[in-house]
Amino acid sequence: MSHFLDRLAFLKKDAEAFSDGHGILTTEPRGWEDAYRKRWQHDKIVRSTHGVNCTGSCSWKIYVKGGLVTWETQQTDYPRTRPDMPNHEPRGCARGASFSWYLYSANRLKYPMIRKRLVKLWRRARRKADPVAAWASIVEDEKKAKEYKAVRGQGGFVRAEWDEATEIIAAANAYTIKRYGPDRIAGFSPIPAMSMVSYAAGTRYLSLLGSTCLSFYDYYCDLPPSSPQTWGEQTDVPESADWYNSGFLILWGSNVPQTRTPDAHFYTEARYKGTKSVVITPDYSEAAKFSDLWLHPTQGTDAALAMALGHVILKEFHIERTSDYFEDYCRQYTDFPFLVQLEKQGDYWVPGRMLRASDFSDGLGETNNTDWKTVAFDEETGNPVLPRGSIGFRWGEDGRWNLEEKDAAGAHTRLRMSLIHNHDEALPVAFPYFGNRKHEHFASTDHADVLERAVPVKKMALKGGETFVVTVFDLLVANYGIDRGLGGENVAATFDDDIPYTPAWQETITGVPRQQVIEVARAFAENADKTEGRSMVILGAGLNHWYHMDMIYRGIINMLVMCGCVGKPGGGWAHYVGQEKLRPQTGWLPLAFALDWNRPPRHMNATSYWYAHSDQWRYEKLKVDEILSPLAPEARLSGSLIDFNVRAERMGWLPSAPQLNQNPLKIAKAAKRAGLEVADFVVRELKEGRMSFAAEDPDNPDNFPRNLFIWRSNVLGSSGKGHEYFLKHLLGTVHGLQGKDLGEDGAEKPEEVKWHDEAPEGKVDLLTTIDFRMSTTALYSDIVLPTATWYEKNDLNTSDMHPFIHPLSAAVDPVWECRSDWEIFKSIARAFSEVAPEVLGKEKDVVLTPILHDTPGEIAQPFDVADWKYGDVEPIPGKTMPAITVVERDYPNVYKHFTALGPLLERLGNGGKGIAWNTADEVKGLGDLNGRVTEEGPTKGMPRIESDIDATEIVLSLAPETNGEVAVKAWQALSKITGRDHTHLAKPRQHEKLRFRDLQAQPRKIISSPTWSGIESDEVTYNAGYTNVHELIPWRTLTGRQQIYQDHLWMRAFGEQLCVYKPPVDTKTIAPVIGRRPNGNPEIVLNFITPHQKWGIHSTYTDNLLMLTLSRGGPIVWLSEDDAAKAQIKDNDWIEAFNVNGALVARAVVSQRIKPGTVFMYHAQEKIVNVPGSEITGTRGGIHNSVTRTVLKPTHMIGGYAQLSYGFNYYGTVGSNRDEFVIIRRMDKIDWMDEPAEPSKEARS
Amino acid sequence: MNPTFKALSALLSYPTLNLLAALPEIWRILAAEAQLGPEQKADLAQLIKRLATEPLLDLEEAYVLLFDRSRSLSLHLFEHVHGESRDRGQAMVDLAEIYSRGGLSVSGGELPDYLPLFLEYLATLKADEAGAMLADPLAILQALGERLAKRQSDYAGIMSALVALAGGASESEELKTLRAEPLEDPNDKEAIDRAWEETMVQFGPGDPDAEGSCPLAREAVARMMDPDPMPEERSDG
Repeated sequence: MSHFLDRLAFLKKDAEAFSDGHGILTTEPRGWEDAYRKRWQHDKIVRSTHGVNCTGSCSWKIYVKGGLVTWETQQTDYPRTRPDMPNHEPRGCARGASFSWYLYSANRLKYPMIRKRLVKLWRRARRKADPVAAWASIVEDEKKAKEYKAVRGQGGFVRAEWDEATEIIAAANAYTIKRYGPDRIAGFSPIPAMSMVSYAAGTRYLSLLGSTCLSFYDYYCDLPPSSPQTWGEQTDVPESADWYNSGFLILWGSNVPQTRTPDAHFYTEARYKGTKSVVITPDYSEAAKFSDLWLHPTQGTDAALAMALGHVILKEFHIERTSDYFEDYCRQYTDFPFLVQLEKQGDYWVPGRMLRASDFSDGLGETNNTDWKTVAFDEETGNPVLPRGSIGFRWGEDGRWNLEEKDAAGAHTRLRMSLIHNHDEALPVAFPYFGNRKHEHFASTDHADVLERAVPVKKMALKGGETFVVTVFDLLVANYGIDRGLGGENVAATFDDDIPYTPAWQETITGVPRQQVIEVARAFAENADKTEGRSMVILGAGLNHWYHMDMIYRGIINMLVMCGCVGKPGGGWAHYVGQEKLRPQTGWLPLAFALDWNRPPRHMNATSYWYAHSDQWRYEKLKVDEILSPLAPEARLSGSLIDFNVRAERMGWLPSAPQLNQNPLKIAKAAKRAGLEVADFVVRELKEGRMSFAAEDPDNPDNFPRNLFIWRSNVLGSSGKGHEYFLKHLLGTVHGLQGKDLGEDGAEKPEEVKWHDEAPEGKVDLLTTIDFRMSTTALYSDIVLPTATWYEKNDLNTSDMHPFIHPLSAAVDPVWECRSDWEIFKSIARAFSEVAPEVLGKEKDVVLTPILHDTPGEIAQPFDVADWKYGDVEPIPGKTMPAITVVERDYPNVYKHFTALGPLLERLGNGGKGIAWNTADEVKGLGDLNGRVTEEGPTKGMPRIESDIDATEIVLSLAPETNGEVAVKAWQALSKITGRDHTHLAKPRQHEKLRFRDLQAQPRKIISSPTWSGIESDEVTYNAGYTNVHELIPWRTLTGRQQIYQDHLWMRAFGEQLCVYKPPVDTKTIAPVIGRRPNGNPEIVLNFITPHQKWGIHSTYTDNLLMLTLSRGGPIVWLSEDDAAKAQIKDNDWIEAFNVNGALVARAVVSQRIKPGTVFMYHAQEKIVNVPGSEITGTRGGIHNSVTRTVLKPTHMIGGYAQLSYGFNYYGTVGSNRDEFVIIRRMDKIDWMDEPAEPSKEARS
Repeated sequence: MNPTFKALSALLSYPTLNLLAALPEIWRILAAEAQLGPEQKADLAQLIKRLATEPLLDLEEAYVLLFDRSRSLSLHLFEHVHGESRDRGQAMVDLAEIYSRGGLSVSGGELPDYLPLFLEYLATLKADEAGAMLADPLAILQALGERLAKRQSDYAGIMSALVALAGGASESEELKTLRAEPLEDPNDKEAIDRAWEETMVQFGPGDPDAEGSCPLAREAVARMMDPDPMPEERSDG
C-alpha cells in the first residue's frame, strides 16, 4: 500500500504516552466516577435561608434527594447592582453551610416533651376534672406546684402527644386569664425580621388573648437609644453595599469580618477602591487588620475619644474656618440654630429647655400646638421665627411639616446658627463634668464637677419675663471646650491644653496618642467636606453594650452631623447590632399583633419586665446619686432605679406588664356597678388608692408572670442577663446566685415598690419553649415543643444589610413530630378555643397603653415632669397617665380569629409611623388570593390565613415595600402632611406586587416606602436619612431636625442635654466575694466583655460540633499575657470567673490580642456543652450571663415627649452588660459533677 | 416473613400502652426463636418483665433519657457512622432505595436509618437475607449493646439478640473505633465533656519525646538541650 494509504486520515492510534510523556492513556474502568456523579444528584433545589438571629439573610440552595435534605450551597443569583458597584454575592458563611446537619442531628427535638412530674400530676387531675379545673388543682396546691418547679433544668422529660401538650398549655392559659388576667401571660421571641411569620404566629395568639408580647431589641442592648433621641427613629442604617460609596470609613467597636461575614467583601472592595480605613477596637481584632490606622482606646472610654475627635472637627471646620457645605447642612438639617433658654440654678446659669412658640405672648402668630413649635433667629432680620418641620406642625394640621427653609407663614428664612456676632453679652454657662468620678479600673482627671464656659447670649422679653437665650450650636461649641475669644475658664486655646474635651485631655482616659486623634479627625472631616458627606462610621456592640452607650454614640453622631454625613450616600451612621430590619413592617404588624381583630395590643419592654420579675431590683447596688448630674434641677429624683421605672409607668411613659394590680377582665364590670365609664372608674380608683399599678408590687402573687412562652430564642442560654436570678426567682430551681438582696444587706429599700422580706421563688407556673433542639432554655422548661427548622417551613426574611426580601422555604416536611411555628400556635389556639368555654366567654378587657411615639399623643407633656400620684397634676388618660381602652375578647373563637383576616383593616385602615391609608382593596385582593372562610361563624367570608404561605401573602400584600399600590398610597398620605409630593419615589413600581413564590424564584428588591428613611433606586444604594435630606421630610423629633440638644428634664437631671464623657459605672459585684473563698491561686479582677463570636451560629446556637472543633470545643475566655502571668494562668488552663451575680467556668485562651484589664467571653456559649462544676457555686458552671445583671438607666424611661415617647423596640430601658467586672482565678480542682442531680441541692453561698 | 425482627422492632420502640398490651405475644415469638440461645432469651425476658411491671411514665422517662437524649445511644444507625457529616444525607437516601426495591417506603415520620424501622424491614425478608443484612451494622449493634450494658440497661438484651441473629459477635476495626468513643449519658456529665473536648493545641516543639511529634523539631530540641553541641566537629572554626 502506498504511504498515503498507510496513513490514517480519520482515525488515530491510541498511544500509550503523549505530550512528551506527560500524558498517558489508561483503560481501567470508570465506575468509580459514579460516586461523584451521585454525590451531586438531587431531585430538587429549594431556596431558603437561616432564620437565626443574624443579619445575613443569605440566599442558599437546599438540595433534596428522596425526600431528604442532603446538603446546601450558596445561591449566586441576586439581582445585579449597577456598573461601578460590586454585586452582593457571594453571601453566606461557614456557619450557614454547617446548618443542614441540624435537621437529622441526634440533638434535634423530635417529639413534644413534658416534664414527667408535671404530666403525672396532670393525668391524675385530668381523670377527675375538666382541663382548667385540673390545672387549678395542680398550681393552687403549693406542694404539687413545687414538685415539678424545683426540678426544672434537671431532665426528667417524657414524650407527649400534641393534643395533650396543647391541652395543658390551653388549660394553663385559660386558668391564668380567668384567675389573674390575660396580662399575666407573656411571650418572648426576638428579631421577627429573620422569620416574621414564625414570630407572628406566637404574638398573634398572645394578642388575641390580650397577653403580653415582650420586646427584645432593647433587652439585648442592641437598640441604641441615641438613635430615637437624635432622629426619632429606632435604627435606620445604610445597606452594606453603601460602604463602597464611602471615602473614609471608621470601623468602631464592630468586628465586620467576624460578625458580618457575608458583607465584609464590600469593605474589602472599598479599600481596593482607595477608601481610607481607621479601625477602633481595644483588642487586636479581626477587624483591626482592615485598618490603615488602628486606634485602641481603653475599653468603654470611647466617648472621650469621640469628644476629642469632635473637638478638632468643630474647631477646625466650624470655628477657625468654615466649610460652606458643613454650615449649610447644619443650618437646615440640625437643631444647631434653635434657641435654648438659660435658667438660673443656685449661682449658675444652666441650659434649660428649648424655646417654644407659646413662650411668646402672641404665639408668634400660631395657635395650634404652640408648646411644640420650636424657635430660631432669622439670619437677616435677627427676629425670632418658627421654622417649619418641628413636631407641632406634624399633628392637627397639614402641609407645613417639612424642612423647607421657610417660617410658619411661608416666608423664606435662613436660620442663624450662632450668636457670636450678635450677642447681647457672654454669660458663663455651667456644664456638668463626669470624667473626674473615681473608678477603680478606669482613669479619671481632676477637673471640677462643674465647668463654666462663656457662651454668647441674647436677652429676650418673653411671656415669662426677661430671658437669656442661646443657640444649640453655641452651647455645643462651649460644651466641647473650644475657645471662641469670649474669655473665661475651661476653654482650650490649643489641642495640647488639658481641658475637657481636647485631644490632650483624652490621652489620660483612653490612652490614645493625641496626634492620632488630630490626624483622624482632620482626615475624616476633610473627606466629608470634599465629597459632601461621604464619611461613614460603622459601629456596633462593642460600644452600645455599655451603661453609658448614649454618650459614646452621641459623640460619634455629633461628628457625623457636624460633617454633614447623615443622609448622604457613602456617609453616616452604620449601627449593625441585632437590628435586622423588618422591611415590610406595616404589612406584618396586623398579622403579628392581631390588629385586624383588636387594638391596641399589649406590648412590654422586656428589660424592665425581666428586671422586675426576676427580682434583680431586689439586689440593685447602683445608687441614683452616682449617676445624677451635679447640676440636676430640683425635682423628684430620689429612690432606687426601679422607682424611676414605676414613676415612668404611672406617667404613661413606659408600658406595664402586668398592668394593674387587678384582673383587667373584672374592671369593666366593676365600673358598670359603680355607674361610671371604664376610664373614669379606673382614674377614680387609682387616684383614691384602691387600685394601683402591678409594678408597685411585683412580688405579690397576683402580679407574677404566670405563663411564659419562649420561641425562636434561647433566653436562658444566651440573652437572659442575670441568668441566676431567672433560675431562682422566676423558675424556683437550683441556682448559683451569690449576692444578698437589699433586705439581707440592711440597705435602703425602694420608695415606690412594696418590699416583701421573703422573695418569691418559682413565680412562673408554666414555661413553654418551642425550639428545634434541646437548648438550655428547653432544658429548664415544663413543656418543650419541637419546631420545624429553616428548611422545613415557609416564611419571610429581611435584613438591614441588603435591600432584598428573601423566603424561607419548606424543602422537606418537618421530620418526626415537628411542626412549623405557625402550625404549633394554630394547634394551641385550637386547643384553647376548645378549653376556654369552661371558664371564659366574651369578655371585656381593660387595656392600658403608654403614650406612643408617632401618634398624636406623643405631644403630651411639653414641660416639667408631673406625677399625678403626688398630686402634681390630675390623672388624665393618654395625657398624664397611660391611655385606657376597653377591648372585647372572644375567647371561644380565638382559633377562628387566628385563621382569618379580621374586619378592622377594612374599617380602620392600615399604616405606621404616623401615617395611615385605606387598605380595603388589599383585603379584597387577599380574599381572592387566599380564599375566603366558608364555614359558618364569626369569620365567614373573611380572607383565610390557614397556611404559613397564606400568612406571608398577608404581609406582602399589605406592605408598601412589597406592594407598589400600597407604596403610592403611603407616600400620598405622607405628602399630605409634608405638603410636598413624594409619590415619584414609588410610582415607577406602582403595579409591582411581590408574591411569596416570586421570592422563591429570586430574592426581590423592596419598593421605597415612607416607613423608612432611605430609598431603593438605580442611582443610590439604601442609606438612612436620605429622604430627610433629599425629600425634606422632617426627622420625627421635637425640632424635626437631628436633635443634638436633649432638653427633657430627666436628660438635664442626668447631665445628658449634650454629649459628655461618662466613665463606666461601678456595679459593685467584686468586693463582697474577692478573697473570701480562696483556692490557693491568685485572683485578678478584669472587665468582662462579651462580643459576638465565630464558632456559634450567631448568638443562639453554640453547640455545633463542627464549628466548635475550629476553636477549643467548649467555653473559653480570652485574656492578655500580662494578666495571665499575674494570675499564674497558662493557655488552656481551666479558670473560673465569678462575682456576686454568679460564676462560670471556662478554659483560658492567653493571647496578645487582648488588652490587659479585660477578659473576653464570646456571647452565648452553652451550658450543655463541656462545662464542669464551679468551685464557687457548687453547681455546674454557668453561662456568660451568670455573672451579669441588668442595671436600668432612668433617661431610657422618658416618655410622652416627642421622639422620647415609647414604641415597641423603639425606646425604653436597655440591658447593658459591659460595665461588669469579674474575678478570674485558675481552678484548683476540676469537678465534673457526675453524681446524679439532687432536686433538693441548693447553691452554697 | 420474620416475626422475630418485628417483635424486636416493637420492643425497641418508645413504650406505649399498645406495646405493653402486645408484650405476651412478643414474648411468645421470641421464646420460639431457634436462633436465640437461653441466655439471650433470659435477658429479653427480664426486659419484658420490667416493661410489664413498671409504671409507663417511668418507662418513658428512662427511654427518653437513653435514646432521645444520649447521642452515643442514638437509635439512628448513621449517627454512629456519619455523625454530622454531609455523607449522612446520601447514606439515608441509599438505604431508602433498598427499602423501595422491596416495595416499601418510609412513612410515619421516621428516618430510614432508625433501627426499629430497619428491623421492621428485615421482618419482611427471608431469615437468611435478613441475617445477612443485619450483619452490615453488626459493629454498631455490638457497640450499642456494650454501652447499654455499661449503663445497666436491660435494653442491652435486644442488642445481643440482634448480634446473635446476625450470626454472632465478631471483632472488627469498626467496633474498635466505636469502642474507643467515650460513653455519653446526659446525666454523666464527665463523659459528655470528654466527648466534646478537643485536644489541646500546642505551638512550638512541645514535648520532643511525645509519640507523633515532629522529627525535625525533635532533633532541633535535642540539639538545643545538648550541653556540648560538638564544637570540635566544626570545620570553619
